[in-house]
Amino acid sequence: MSAKTILVVDDESHILHVVSLKLQNAGFNTITAADGDEGLEAALATSVALVITDYQMPTMTGLEMARRLHKEPGKRDLPIILLTAHGLALEQIELAQAGIACCLSKPFSPREILGKVHSLLAEAEKVPAAVPQ
Amino acid sequence: MRPAEIRVLATSVVAVCVSVAAASGLVVHRGAADFSAMAPSAALLGLAALSVILGFIAFRRDWLAHLKRMLAEVQASVAASGETSPAVQRDRIVGPVVADVRDQVTRMRTQIQELQVQRKNLEIQLRLADAQRRQSETMINGISDAMLVTNGFDELALANPAAAELFEFSLATSIRKPITEMLGSSRLAADIADLRTAPSRSNRRSWETVLPCNGVQRHFEVTMTCVMDGADQFSGVVTVLHDITREKEVSKMKSDFVSHVSHELRTPLSSIKAYAELLVDGEATDDKTRQEFYHVIQGEADRLSRLIDNILNISRIESGMTRVNKKAISLTAVLKEVLEVAMPSARDKQITLVDQIVPAFFQIEADRDMIYQAALNLISNAIKYTPAGGTVKVSASADEGKGEVTMLVADTGVGIPPDAMKHLFEKFFRVEQHKNMAKGSGLGLNLTRQIVETIHKGRMIVESTLGKGSTFGFALPILP
Repeated sequence: MSAKTILVVDDESHILHVVSLKLQNAGFNTITAADGDEGLEAALATSVALVITDYQMPTMTGLEMARRLHKEPGKRDLPIILLTAHGLALEQIELAQAGIACCLSKPFSPREILGKVHSLLAEAEKVPAAVPQ
Repeated sequence: MRPAEIRVLATSVVAVCVSVAAASGLVVHRGAADFSAMAPSAALLGLAALSVILGFIAFRRDWLAHLKRMLAEVQASVAASGETSPAVQRDRIVGPVVADVRDQVTRMRTQIQELQVQRKNLEIQLRLADAQRRQSETMINGISDAMLVTNGFDELALANPAAAELFEFSLATSIRKPITEMLGSSRLAADIADLRTAPSRSNRRSWETVLPCNGVQRHFEVTMTCVMDGADQFSGVVTVLHDITREKEVSKMKSDFVSHVSHELRTPLSSIKAYAELLVDGEATDDKTRQEFYHVIQGEADRLSRLIDNILNISRIESGMTRVNKKAISLTAVLKEVLEVAMPSARDKQITLVDQIVPAFFQIEADRDMIYQAALNLISNAIKYTPAGGTVKVSASADEGKGEVTMLVADTGVGIPPDAMKHLFEKFFRVEQHKNMAKGSGLGLNLTRQIVETIHKGRMIVESTLGKGSTFGFALPILP
C-alpha cells in the first residue's frame, strides 16, 4: 500500500519544514505550499489525502482556501486541519461551514498534529467517498 | 371744647328750655284764651328756638375746632411716634378712639417691619436662586455631553449647546417645542416617552446607540433619568448623550493590538516548540539536522526577543514612559557604526552597501541609542527587500537653511505599491506581496517613526517606485 500524500500550507518556512519532517518520519509523503493560491493549485494537481494549512497567509486565509477546495469536484470530503495563531478567535460555525475537520492553536505540538492526521485519515477511510451525481 | 365752655353752653340751653316750658305752660294753663292773647307767648317761643339754633351752631363750631385740635395732636403724636398728649388722653370721647388708633398703628407698623424683613429675605433668596441658575446653566452649557430636559408633555424644557449641535436645532427657538421636532427620526423621542409613561419612573436607563453626526456614524452612551419634584411628582426626563466613539476606537485598537501581538508571538514560539519536540523525540537523526534545528530555535528565539523589545519600546514611547537621554551627538558617527553592523548581512545577500556619508560633523541633540535603532531599522529593511545583486546607499547631509540634518537610505529593491504607502507606519503592517521576502513583525517602521517624530520632533522621509526601489530616511533639527 503506497504512502498517503499530505499537503502542508504555511508562509513560515520553518513551520513547513518541521511539520513535513514529522509526517515524513511517520511514513507520509508531503508536498508544501507557501500561500493559499499555491495550496489550492497543489491540492487540485495532486491526489492528497489530507491538508494541513495555516490560517493567516498572503493572498487568502486558510479558511478561504478550505472553502474553495471543498467546492471542487471530488474534494468535498477532503479532511483539512487548520493551524491558527489567533487562539480561540475563530467561530466554530465558521470553521464548520468551511469544512475544517480540526483546528489546532499555535504553538502546536508536532505529535498532536500527527495524532490528528492518523485519526482523520482513519475516519475518512470508514466513510465511503461521495459519488458525484 | 373746654369744660367751662360746655358749662356755659349747657346753662344757655337750660334757660331756653325753661322759657319754652314756661310759655307752653301758660298756653296750656289758659286753655281757651283767645288767639291774640297768645302772641307774646309765640314770640317768646320763637326767641327760645332761635337761641337753641344759635347755641347749636356755636356748639358745633366749638366742637369741630376741638376735634381739629385733637386730630392735630393725634397726628403729631403718631407722626413723632411719641406719647399721646394728656389732653387727648383725658378726652372721654376722643381718648379711647385715639388709643385704639394708636394700637392699630403700632400693630401695622410691626407688620410693615416684618413684611420689609420678609421682602429683603425674598430678594436675597431670589438673587441667590438667580446666581445658582446662572451657575447651573454655565455648567450645563460647559459640558461636552449633549443634554436635553423634557417636560411632562415631551416638550423641550432645557438643552445645552452640545445637544443643539448634535441634533442641529436652535436653542433660542426650540424651548417648549415637541422633542420629536429636535430628535428627528432617531428612536430617542420614543424612548423618552416610554420612560415617562413607564410604571416605575424612578428607573434610570442607560444603553449604547449609534447616531449620525456631521455625516459620520458615532457611538453614544445614552442615559435617561426621570426627574421627580419635592412632592414625588414627575417633572421631566433628563437625557444625556456621552460620545464614546473614541473609547470604542481605542478599545478596538487595543483588541487588534493584542490579537496582532499574540499572533506575532505565537509564530516564532511554534517553531521553537516544534523543533525542540523533534529534538527531544530523537527525530533529528544526524548532527547536521540537529545543528540546523538548534539554529532555527536560536533564530526564532532572537526573533521573539526583538519582537518583545519592539512592542515594549513602542508602548513606552506611546505612553510617555520611555527614558530619553538626549545630548549633543554626531549623526555621521552613529551612521558609520550602523553601517559596520549591517555590512555582514548585506555581504551575505550579495548586496552592495555604499557609504555616501560626507565627512562633516553634523551635531544633533538626540538619544544616541534610539537614533542608532532608527537608522539600523531603515538600513536592515533596505537590505531585506532588495534582491541579491542590488545596491543600498546610505547618505547624510545638512541643510543649514532649513536647520536640519537628513539621513537617507536608497535601495534598488522591490519598491512599495502605491496603495500600501499610507499604511507603511501602521503597527504590524506588512506589504502583502513582499511578506515572503523576509521575516518581520511590521513594527520596525512604526518604532522608527515614533523615535524620529515623537521623541526627536523630526520627520520621516519616504519615496518609492514599485519594482525600482525605495528611499527611506529622516530629518532631525540641527544643533546651532
